[in-house]
Amino acid sequence: MSRQRNDILQGTLVLLVLKTLSAQGKMHGYAITAHIQRASADLLRVEEGSLYPALHRMEQDGWLRAEWGVTEKNRQARFYVLTAAGKKQLATEQESWARLTEGVTRVLRYA
Amino acid sequence: MGWYRRFTNMLRPERLSRDIRREMEFHMAERADDLMASGMPEPDARREARRRFGNPSTQQERTRDTDILTWLESLAADVRYAGRALRASPGFAGVAILSLGLGIGANTAIFSLINAVVLRTLPVEHPEELMQVTMGGKEQGTVFTNPLWEAIRDRQDVFSGVFAFSGTEFNLTAGGEVRRASGTWVSGDYFSTLGVRPALGRLVIRADDVHGCPPIAVLGYGFWQSEYGGSRGVVGKTISLDRTAHTIVGVADPSFFGVNVGESAQVYVPLCLRPGLESRSNWYLRVVGRRKPGVTPQQVATRIAAIAPAVYEATVPQRLGVAEKAAYLKNGLNAVAAANGLSPIRRQYQRALMVLMAVVVLVLVVACANVANLLLARAAARGREMAIRLAIGAARRRLVRQLLTESVLLAGLGAIAGIVFARWGTSLLIGLLSRGQLPVSLDVGLDGPVLMFTLGVAMLTGILFGLAPAWRATRIDPQAALKATGRGVAEGHSRFTMGKALVIGQIALSLVLVIGAGLLLGTFRKLVTLDPGFKREGVLIVSVNLQNAGYGPDRYGAVHTDLLGRFRALPGVQVAAASAITPISGSSWNDYIRVDGFTPKSADDALAYFNQVTDGFFAAMGTPLLAGRDFDARDRLGAQPVVIVNETFAKKFFHGANPLGKYYRHVEHDSLGAPIQIVGVVKDAKYKELREETLATAYLPLSQDSVQSAYANYVLRAVGAPSGLAPGVKAMVAEVNRSIALELTPLSDQVDQSLARERLLATLSGFFGALALLLATIGLYGMLSYSVARRRNEIGVRIALGAGRERVMRLVLGEVVRLVIIGVALGTVVAFFSTRVMTSFLFGLSASDPATVIGAAAMLAGVGLAAGALPAWRAARVDPIAALRDE
Repeated sequence: MSRQRNDILQGTLVLLVLKTLSAQGKMHGYAITAHIQRASADLLRVEEGSLYPALHRMEQDGWLRAEWGVTEKNRQARFYVLTAAGKKQLATEQESWARLTEGVTRVLRYA
Repeated sequence: MGWYRRFTNMLRPERLSRDIRREMEFHMAERADDLMASGMPEPDARREARRRFGNPSTQQERTRDTDILTWLESLAADVRYAGRALRASPGFAGVAILSLGLGIGANTAIFSLINAVVLRTLPVEHPEELMQVTMGGKEQGTVFTNPLWEAIRDRQDVFSGVFAFSGTEFNLTAGGEVRRASGTWVSGDYFSTLGVRPALGRLVIRADDVHGCPPIAVLGYGFWQSEYGGSRGVVGKTISLDRTAHTIVGVADPSFFGVNVGESAQVYVPLCLRPGLESRSNWYLRVVGRRKPGVTPQQVATRIAAIAPAVYEATVPQRLGVAEKAAYLKNGLNAVAAANGLSPIRRQYQRALMVLMAVVVLVLVVACANVANLLLARAAARGREMAIRLAIGAARRRLVRQLLTESVLLAGLGAIAGIVFARWGTSLLIGLLSRGQLPVSLDVGLDGPVLMFTLGVAMLTGILFGLAPAWRATRIDPQAALKATGRGVAEGHSRFTMGKALVIGQIALSLVLVIGAGLLLGTFRKLVTLDPGFKREGVLIVSVNLQNAGYGPDRYGAVHTDLLGRFRALPGVQVAAASAITPISGSSWNDYIRVDGFTPKSADDALAYFNQVTDGFFAAMGTPLLAGRDFDARDRLGAQPVVIVNETFAKKFFHGANPLGKYYRHVEHDSLGAPIQIVGVVKDAKYKELREETLATAYLPLSQDSVQSAYANYVLRAVGAPSGLAPGVKAMVAEVNRSIALELTPLSDQVDQSLARERLLATLSGFFGALALLLATIGLYGMLSYSVARRRNEIGVRIALGAGRERVMRLVLGEVVRLVIIGVALGTVVAFFSTRVMTSFLFGLSASDPATVIGAAAMLAGVGLAAGALPAWRAARVDPIAALRDE
């Protein structure tokens, strides 16, 4: 299979999840994957296998809060919301991402 | 929050895994819906949804792991990693574990002794309810006469049970050489008040303790095991105690050792069997009661104090003078907590044990400093590892935890080694204690408190010596650390101030310990080499008891005269004599005297000490007669009473004038005895103990004693070793009468026994001082070798630029000298303030004895320089080319 791999860089998944939840409010895991894929115009795809461990870790770190709820299709799902600590974390991660990309871009341009 | 959640998750893993499964199922259902919406048939869509997820059950586990097990697992990983790191450097691990093992072991050993002697409560029911009745007041006397005990028993209303007891020794043999068993006279309620149960048969009960009771005995469990092999048929048999057959009625519970901690009673006998119960001037009973429920200790003390006047009024000893009677009636009563039991060894050793505890804590601190220093050096060596781990995203907290795990693991291994050392050390300690006059029997097993103590000490030390190095090791700039190649001179410089501080602290503490040890060793040496006024070597003491040997009391004198003649004729005996009391034996006899021309400053100022001896006693003891004559045939009963006094007696009562021919009188209550003429003066000799200021002592002739005693102590000066006389002595006495009881002790042993505490302190403080010194030396050596290794480049440059070898050596040795001087100065100051607590243990030197302090400082300086010499020599031999090429 020659499908181009757009696996999300280790570490950026957290940033993407935080950003998604900050923009969209309360969401369940599937909606988060769908949103990232859609928002990145199919360039990025969240690997299901990484998402849930990441969500749980973030919940433990206190960045997210989770609760069970019912979807429109009347299915039981776990909904995640950003906490205040999560908002702060998002700011930090966004800033370091900006620095990283700027650095990488400069290197690509001048090196 | 994270901790709390992990914890609750751990408690309900079932629900958690159900949650995760539900969440994933929802995800797959949603995915399948979307796939079907894009035209995929349902079975394919479901398969694809699942496939994208990977293996759902491993996935589920992975998710759950992050919740519960990461923490535990990372801990296990830390421990594994720490174990691997330690195995990778066995030298480091070995030194560290050994240091800690010795430190922790010493602490455990001393603590288990303190626990056994001071802290542990008696193994009886509700020990906290037990209270000991004392005389109150300044003296805090704890012994009573039997009439006093009976008066207290009959008048008290605060105890649900109260008992009296007295330690004693019984002779187990029917004749010949004495074999002693420790015994306890017990009143009827002894066992019932304590709540002790029999292991076999029955114990002494109230009905056994009545006037004219039949002779019975209860055996201690240990004695039953050792003497009767635990035979159940022992009940109903008889045991010979002081040559009287006692019927054995039972065996006490194995956990019960008596009320006196450190003594183990082998036989319990009802008090009613003791001779001389009516005596109102024979003080030997201790009284303990169990307070009634609802009565507070304070109330007990008050109520007991209230009955005191009536108790003393009813028991005034016969033939007391007016003043003596008034003093007797002024005595009070008090009650104090007795939950930990009573203990003569506690009184004797408590302070000594506390000093030792302080000593071993210092040793442990020195050991910790050692390990901390090793860890610092190791941390510096692992700087790159730490830098890499920080660079790839490890949290600093995580690394500190990893390093702390390593040090706690070290401490744990040290504790295991320590327990082994402690087990071995405590039996050694008990051995040292047992060389005293009291045979010591203590249960120093590893019980709960001791294990808790060791565990606590290990954890504490692990964190204590691990935290600072861990903090240091992780305070690192990864970029700088990775860039550095090790050529810098200044690099690592600041890290070394901490290592230096540790070494200085070690030197200072070791100096304190060495000075303390020096003082105690000096004390012991002074006591051993002291001239006690008699020659302790070469004398055999033979204690003879004619009781129950078939002689009437009117024959004792004649038998002893006969025995003395036979002792003098024994081959190998140079001089033989008899005496009532031998020096440093624990026995003493004092009396108030009246001397014309001497005005006592207080009542006790007229107190003199006495002994009764035969002619030849001073020759046998090696005490020179300075003036006058020895006793001889003239000094018969009925002739002019005579006495020989020591120099102190002459100086004190006759103001240095020649006392020969002068008289003194004994004060007998309100009257005076017959005048006794002084016919000789002997050199001062120690009486009760070696430490004492020589007492004013008078020696009366045994030949003028109107009471014939069954006991006598013969002192035989031997031509060779005193023990060589033993077979001849035993054979001779057996020839006279097989039933005569005798005991043989070399005088030097008797003197030695009185030094048990001094020997214990000197031996242990010497050992611990040496240990601390060794640890400090290792610390200094380690720090210097490491520093030289780090500065190899710098030294190479210096040599290449023309610095001579001596200059390089001086560079390193200068460092040593600086460290040692600061450490020694600091240690001297600390010692000056801390050795004062030992003043009461010292003899013949002060707590700041200059010779000891200077000697210890010189020793430490010498050892420190020796420890520095090897690294200095190694530094001087650095090959500049190799050192500079080496990257």
